[in-house]
Order: sequence, then structure tokens, then C-alpha cells
Amino acid sequence: MSVGLILLVIIVLGVLYFVSNYNSLVRLRNQVKNAWSQIDVQLKRRHDLIPNLIETVKGYMTHEKETLENITRARAGAMSANTVAEKSQAESTLSGALGKFNLVVENYPDLKANQNFLALQEELTSTENKISFARQSYNDQVLFYNNKIEVFPSNIIAGMFHFVKEEFFEVKDETEREAPKVSFK
Amino acid sequence: MWEIIRLNKRKSFLLFIAMGIILLLLGYFVGATFLGEDGGPFGVFIALIIWSVLSIISYFSGHKILLSISGAKEVTPDVHPQLFNVVEEMTIAANLPKMPKIYIINEEAPNAFATGRNPENSAVAVTAGMLAQMNRDELQGVIAHEISHIVNRDVLFMTFAGIMLGSIVIISEIFLKGMWFGGSSLNRYRDRSSGGGGGQIIIMVVSLILAILAPILAQLLYFAISRKREYLADANGARLTRYPEGLASALEKLSQNSYELRSANKATAGMYIVNPLKEKGRKLSDLTSTHPPISERIRILRNMAGAGFNDYQKAYAKVKNKNETVIPPSELKKETYIPILSEIEKATSHGKKEQQRKLGDIVMKTNGYSFLTCDCGLKLKAPADFNGKEVSCPRCGKRLKFE
Amino acid sequence: MLVLELEKVETDFCPNCKGIWLDKGELELFLEDSKDKDELIKSFSSAKGIREKKIKCPICNSKMDKIFVGKDHDIVLDECKYGHGLWFDKGEILEVIKLGSVNKNNKIIQLFQDMYKNEININTTEEK
Repeated sequence: MSVGLILLVIIVLGVLYFVSNYNSLVRLRNQVKNAWSQIDVQLKRRHDLIPNLIETVKGYMTHEKETLENITRARAGAMSANTVAEKSQAESTLSGALGKFNLVVENYPDLKANQNFLALQEELTSTENKISFARQSYNDQVLFYNNKIEVFPSNIIAGMFHFVKEEFFEVKDETEREAPKVSFK
Repeated sequence: MWEIIRLNKRKSFLLFIAMGIILLLLGYFVGATFLGEDGGPFGVFIALIIWSVLSIISYFSGHKILLSISGAKEVTPDVHPQLFNVVEEMTIAANLPKMPKIYIINEEAPNAFATGRNPENSAVAVTAGMLAQMNRDELQGVIAHEISHIVNRDVLFMTFAGIMLGSIVIISEIFLKGMWFGGSSLNRYRDRSSGGGGGQIIIMVVSLILAILAPILAQLLYFAISRKREYLADANGARLTRYPEGLASALEKLSQNSYELRSANKATAGMYIVNPLKEKGRKLSDLTSTHPPISERIRILRNMAGAGFNDYQKAYAKVKNKNETVIPPSELKKETYIPILSEIEKATSHGKKEQQRKLGDIVMKTNGYSFLTCDCGLKLKAPADFNGKEVSCPRCGKRLKFE
Repeated sequence: MLVLELEKVETDFCPNCKGIWLDKGELELFLEDSKDKDELIKSFSSAKGIREKKIKCPICNSKMDKIFVGKDHDIVLDECKYGHGLWFDKGEILEVIKLGSVNKNNKIIQLFQDMYKNEININTTEEK
């Protein structure tokens, strides 16, 4: 009788442990998804800002055709990217193109006095920052999640229910982040 | 992060209890003085009620009370788009569930604070002077510090301590004034009660001392815990922005400020990023006790080799020259190296006149002025009662309409 | 009152009477590059006897004093008793600036000239 009871308790505890492990895996996976959607929102915002930016500066920057074309091209590339790896690659190209643009702007004092441009510039700078901050927190979440999948005993549950590892959103070089972070005051 | 939050919650609870005990003691002796020896328990009872009512109030609307006594106004993004952007950036970096509400205080002294009971119900308040003086990176540093207070659950503690401290100060003051003006009636009372007169005097003296000491005691208690929080928020702020220099340079500007924040008082002083109360004839500097010395905070930030907690802890030990822990070791162990963003272009600082004008703009915007730029280049700023009205541009005569 | 901003300088402007209010110290800023600045400011003298309607200071709402500007008492201005600033009726600012012989190319001066151009033109045609 008492052996049966003990067995029952052990089984119940085992099931509870199993369920809580499963739940925490689901929670982590959702957090990764949320973090990713935050990045997606900001990337989309950046894509939306670029045509406005080009329109505003076109008149001023007649000698910088190439720089502007590079941005447009990089934007098109970034918009057609699908997987995490493709996106990381394309977006960092775009960041690079914008970084070059920001350096060139220094040579156009008239442009820097344009209220419209300054407002756009602030939006763009902020979007760049938001992307990298969102990337930071996405990568943190992925790290937690991937760790959980690898360690015992959650790895068994992960295997049973097809929890697969997520990719990091990487930029080739950490220092690339500040390239577009030039302050315009 | 969880270690820090857990420790903070425990400390907040201890403070909650300690403040309560001070309040109860105060209640006992005040009651005993005015109503005789039987008045003690009655005083405790009243104090208990005050304590619970205050706790409930400060939990549910403490942040609103603090915001309104600091003269903070909630603003929309168009008042200062950059401020909103920076707060949103830090919200993302800190992974907060919801963006804090944003308030502006129309004062020249640069300062800021955060309040709220949890990350879902939080607010950040910044003075107009802060916005006028700081460049983007500095503002980001300041906001990162404030957001860290929210992440670390300091806000509930600060809101609570502010309200409690305020009430203890008020009760003591009422009592002391009652003693001065009501002295004669107390004497009469003592004459009537036969015997026990000596005991009554002792109680009176004790309560007098307590009334004087309680606010100081409560304040000391508050600052003892809040000092370390400032270091922690600095560490976390540097980690969020990956750029300790932003906060360091903001703190440097704040330390050179010579304005006093008129809307701050003893009870709210502890929640600001730097002590808002100026000692007479002296700049805001190391001599103030409510906050760790600013110069030390700056030196720690500038000594950081990376942007992580480990780097802050090392810099702290180096600057302070002692092995004190500011960050729980478990937190340090699980962190991998976080690099600092390399030198960002030094943003041009604004001239005095320009700063004044920016300050004026922020004050006007928070007061509902609308701004319009005419095609001839003239910028018009109109108070709210011009809304919907048409004006002709004083320069070129073009008809302009304020929305 | 509207606030006008050009070239990072602000002035308060009344769209009804076309007058201008300058806070304390702002006139000095306008006259910065004038040789006669000190002389002009020294020439401010009380004009108690004058019978012009008294107006109120927009900041403290108390009645302002009348003052003369220039050696020959060419212009009458209103000055706040408590030092808040100066009030210039329509066009008066331009006359004061002329007295101060300021560089004509200054953008702010040009703004004032543009603002009161129409008024002055009307006056001259009327005189003819």
C-alpha cells in the first residue's frame, strides 16, 4: 500500500517536472520570437525611412550619386532577405552604406541646417540604435534558449517535441555598430 | 539580473518594516505626551492606520503623487522626439515589457528621476534644463541610468521611501509645533494628574527627542540603501548603452550645474540622478550626502575597460581602493565580456545662448505652444489660444494657420 | 503674443498692434555690432510729463514708465519699472536701431525692415 503511494508520488512529481520543463522551453521559444519580431519592426522602420531620406537629400547631394545608389541597392537587398542569416548579412551591408552616407553629410552644412533632414536624421539614428539594442536582447534570449535545449534533462524533452536551436543575429564585427552612430547636432 | 532584483526586493521590505517601526514609535510617544500614559497604545493604533494607508497609497499612486509634487507634466512625442526615441531605445535594450511614461519638469536645473511600482507602471521624468544641456549620448546615459532603476525594482523602493519619509517629516513637524504652541495646556494637564508627573516629563522629553531624530533617522536609513543603488544603476546603465562615457560626461555636466531644483525637497531628493538640493554658495558636489560623490561615479565609469558588470566592479575597486562588492558575484560569474563601443565623434556642445533658447522651446512646447516655420524662414511660436487661428506672417504677409 | 525666431534670436511680437517686446538685455544683443551702442543706451531718460497712454508690462502686469531715447528725445518707449524689458510700438524698434547705426546686413535688422516696410511705405505715400 505505502509502496504504491510512494510510487504514485514519484510519478506525479516526475510528470510535474516534465511539464514545467516543457513549459519553460515554450516560454523561452516565445521570448526568442518576441525579440525577433522587435528586430523585424525596427528593420522595417528603417526600410521605410530610407526613401524619405533620399528624397530630402537628393537636391543637396548632387555629387554623391554613388553613395545614395549604394543605400538604395542595400535597402532592396535587405528587403528581399528571408532567413536570419541572410538578413544579418544584408542589414549589415545597409548599415555600412548608411555609415558612409553619414560621413559624407559632414561636407554639406546647408543640409545639416535643414529642419526636415535633422528630424529624419534623428529618426534614422534612433532606428539604428533600436536595431542594435534589439539584436543584443535577441541574442541574449537565443543564448538562454539554446543552452536549455543542450543541457540534461531538458534536451530529452526538446528532442521529443522538436525544439530546435535558433540562429544568432550576428554582425561581422561588433565595432560596426557605431559606424552609423554619428551625432548630428 | 535576478540576483540584483531579489536583493533589492528584500532590502525594500526591510526598509518598509524599519520605516514602519519609526512611525509606530513616533505614534506611541506623541500619543503618550498629549493624552497621558494610556495614550501610547492609542498613538500606536493611529500610526498603524497612517502606515497602512500610506503604504496602500504609495503602492497604487505614489508615483503620481511624486510626479505631481515635482511639477512634472506628461508630454507627447512631438514635444521632444529625441527624448522619446532614447527612452524607447533603452526600453528595448533592457527588455522592459512596456515603455515608461515620459514627463518633463519645466525647470532650468538639469536633473531626472524614475518612479513607479513595477516595470509595467513606471515613469521617467526629465527637467527641461537636462534636455537643453545634454547631447544625444549623454541623454542616453542618463535615461539608461533611470531605466536601470526601473529594471532593478528601485522605483517602488524610492517611491515608497519618498512618501514614508515625507510623512514622518510632516508628523514630526506637526508635533514639534504642537509642543511650542500647546506647551501651556500640557502643563495644566500635568497639574491635574496627581502623581505620575515625573513619568510624564520623561515621556515628553523622549518624544521630543524622537520627533527631532525620527526624520533624520529615516533619512539616514534611506540613504544608506540608496547610495549603493546609484552605483548599481550606473553599472547597469553603462552596460545597457555599451558606452560608459555618455553617462560619465552627463554626470560631469550635472556636477557643474549651479541651479537648484525648486520643486525638490528633502523627501524627494534621494530619487533624482544627482542631488537636487544645493548647499548655500556651493556647487552641487561631493559634499552632499544623499548620493555617492559625483566625481567618484565619473571616475569609476571612466576607468571601465569594458561595458560589463565585471568591468564596473573592477573599476569600482580601483577607484575606491577597497574590495567592496557592488554587484552580486553570481551576476559577475555568468557574464561574458562586453566591449565598449569605440570612441564616438565628440558631439559639438551648444553655446550658452543656444542652450537658453532650447530650454525656452521645451518649456513652451510642454505648455502647449505650437510651432510653425514660414516659407520666408521666420519661425513662429504661438501659445495654445492661437490654435486653429490664422495669422499673417509678420515678415512676408503669408497667411499661416496654427493647428 | 507670438514668439518669432530668426537666426536663433527670439522676439515677442503682438500680431494685433504689431508692437514688439524685448526682454531685459535683448536690445543690447541687437545692438551688439553698433559703435554707438553705449551712447544710445545712456541716452535713455525718463519722460514723465509725456501724455501717451500708459500700457502694462506683459510680464508683471504693472504700468510701465515712458522713456525718451536719443539726444533729441526722438522716440518714446515704454520701460517696465521692475526691469523686465522694453516695449516698442509699431515700427519704433526700427527707429531705435537706426539711431544706433547698426550694420544694415544683419539678418535680424533685415527682418524688422521687412516687417515694417509696408507700414513705412504707406506713410511715405500719404505724405506725398
